[in-house]
Amino acid sequence: MRVYILRRLVQIVPTVLGITFVVFLMMRSIPGDPVVALLGDSYTQEDAVKAREVYGLNQPILVQYLIWLGKLLQGDWGASILTGRPVLQDVLVRLPVTLELIVLSMGVALVIAIPAAIIGALRQNTWADYTATTVAMIGVSIPEFFLGVLLLLAFSIGLGGVLPSSGWVYLPGTCPMMVCGVSLWGNMQHVLMPAFALGVGRAAILTRLLRASMLEVIRTEYVTTARAKGVTELKVVLKHALKNALIPTVTVMGLQVGFLIGGAIVVETLFAMPGLGTFGIDAIIARDYQQVQGFALLTAFAFVVINLVVDLSYTFLDPRIRYG
Amino acid sequence: MKPRPISGGSLREAELPAVTGLARPAAGEARSETPLAQGLRRLRRSTTALVGVAIVLALIVVAIFADVLAPQSPIASDQTHTFERPSWDYPLGTDQLGRDMLSRVIHGSRISLLVGVSSVLLALFVGVPFGMIAGYYGGRTDTVIMRLMDLVLAFPIYLLAIILMVMFAPTAGLIGTIKVTGAIAIVRIPIYARLVRGSVLSIKEKEYIEACRALGVRDPWIIFRHVLPNCLAPIIVTTTLGIATSIIVEATLSFLGLGTQPPTPSWGWDLKANLAFIQDNAWLSLFPGLAIFVTVLGFNLFGDGLRDALDPRLK
Repeated sequence: MRVYILRRLVQIVPTVLGITFVVFLMMRSIPGDPVVALLGDSYTQEDAVKAREVYGLNQPILVQYLIWLGKLLQGDWGASILTGRPVLQDVLVRLPVTLELIVLSMGVALVIAIPAAIIGALRQNTWADYTATTVAMIGVSIPEFFLGVLLLLAFSIGLGGVLPSSGWVYLPGTCPMMVCGVSLWGNMQHVLMPAFALGVGRAAILTRLLRASMLEVIRTEYVTTARAKGVTELKVVLKHALKNALIPTVTVMGLQVGFLIGGAIVVETLFAMPGLGTFGIDAIIARDYQQVQGFALLTAFAFVVINLVVDLSYTFLDPRIRYG
Repeated sequence: MKPRPISGGSLREAELPAVTGLARPAAGEARSETPLAQGLRRLRRSTTALVGVAIVLALIVVAIFADVLAPQSPIASDQTHTFERPSWDYPLGTDQLGRDMLSRVIHGSRISLLVGVSSVLLALFVGVPFGMIAGYYGGRTDTVIMRLMDLVLAFPIYLLAIILMVMFAPTAGLIGTIKVTGAIAIVRIPIYARLVRGSVLSIKEKEYIEACRALGVRDPWIIFRHVLPNCLAPIIVTTTLGIATSIIVEATLSFLGLGTQPPTPSWGWDLKANLAFIQDNAWLSLFPGLAIFVTVLGFNLFGDGLRDALDPRLK
């Protein structure tokens, strides 16, 4: 087991390198360059040459990448071309926002999906099942930005504006700066709608999947045996059925996290949240190479680590699965 | 269904559908009911699937006849009628430039359907051959192709699509639409490659393929006449559901300002552009959003029905 984890950790390196290198290549193949945006109206040929030299943009692409990598190994994520601020600092300020959004929307997804799937599977082909599957179908088909707009209409514009439509208040203990708005209640108000908008679609996918695997598991002989032994229904459902049905669901959850990272871009844009998503898309559109690299690095790393966690969780769900 | 013994040794018999449901119905061959007909019969019995088919057909009609159906031009602005509430003259109201919202929603269906369908077809035409070659030949070919696909899959799809769109520099009109189609197709190629590779891996071990090889049939012929028809069912299902996903991705890119650019009407763009006026003119964002939702729902219902009909084991 330890060997397996170690091997997987080593494998993270080429994947992260691959992703960051491809992003590096893609960003630099975009026509035009950020120096033009940096100099703005005062653009002169000489200044441009000078600026390119300062940021190392006159080097061959591979050399630029190696320089970026070399600095990264020393803990230097580079500085934004447009604002001059260190990328690491910007990323750390925005990370808690996105992390909270993603964790909470996954929570929303599970809280909806697990009961809905269990009811759907246990009461197959009853009105409860039909309701669960219909709602899941609607949830799969609604884009998160449209759901977000509906929530905005209901809670920010209707109902006297109970929930704020934009901005952010940090959760106590997550504020990385000296000055920022911190309050538990304020944080909840700000995160509720975005987490819901992002989580409902995932909930719908998980419900459909979990219901299907519950239906399969519930007909197996070991569930019949458990019932015959006189195990309480609750224990049969939760321990014998649900735990086994969760395996394919966990795989999909891992894949969904990749989707959540992308979805965060959309939801953060809609609700004007100062998270990594808005940071990433602003950086990509402004072609701020250093910021994009920082964003890609973090995204790739999160993606790979989460997939590792997913693979490891199999051993908990099904002890027969062993990695040697 | 039990694997058929290849007793007669004739090629015709080797072509008979073996395991995976849908096969090409052989012309002129008397058979009680082909798997395709069986699937269609099952599809007709599902109400939800029929609702999906109806939505999709209605949308196709709207998109084709948009010029006739739309009461006004979707891009002609009328400064004397801005922010009209829904009325008899403007069933869905007008936006800040006085453009008729109903006409914009009707014309927006073109971009959505065109990008949704063509991006999936494009991904299919690239992904399927890759998957077939990787699965059929195995070895180093397989490793090279699949590692390439893994690299694309390692990206969160929105991130890749966004960077690709910035690379392509979004524009209006047909060229803009082609760019969006290309970006979404690239993101989705690996999905089909993986799917097909998996099916091919199991099909190529079947006796009828072995029989073909023993008869000296050449590889391209085996792949296209014997392997491909037997992995069609999952491809068809994934394609239909994939259109739904592609439509969402298109709408999302438009929402982020990276889809087809104005003046070409696009639902995602309209929704975003009108968010600024949501306080007083909520319907302006509601209708394009509803249009996206209904379209995606239609393809999802249709795809779900197809899956149940073509491959009951996938249910």
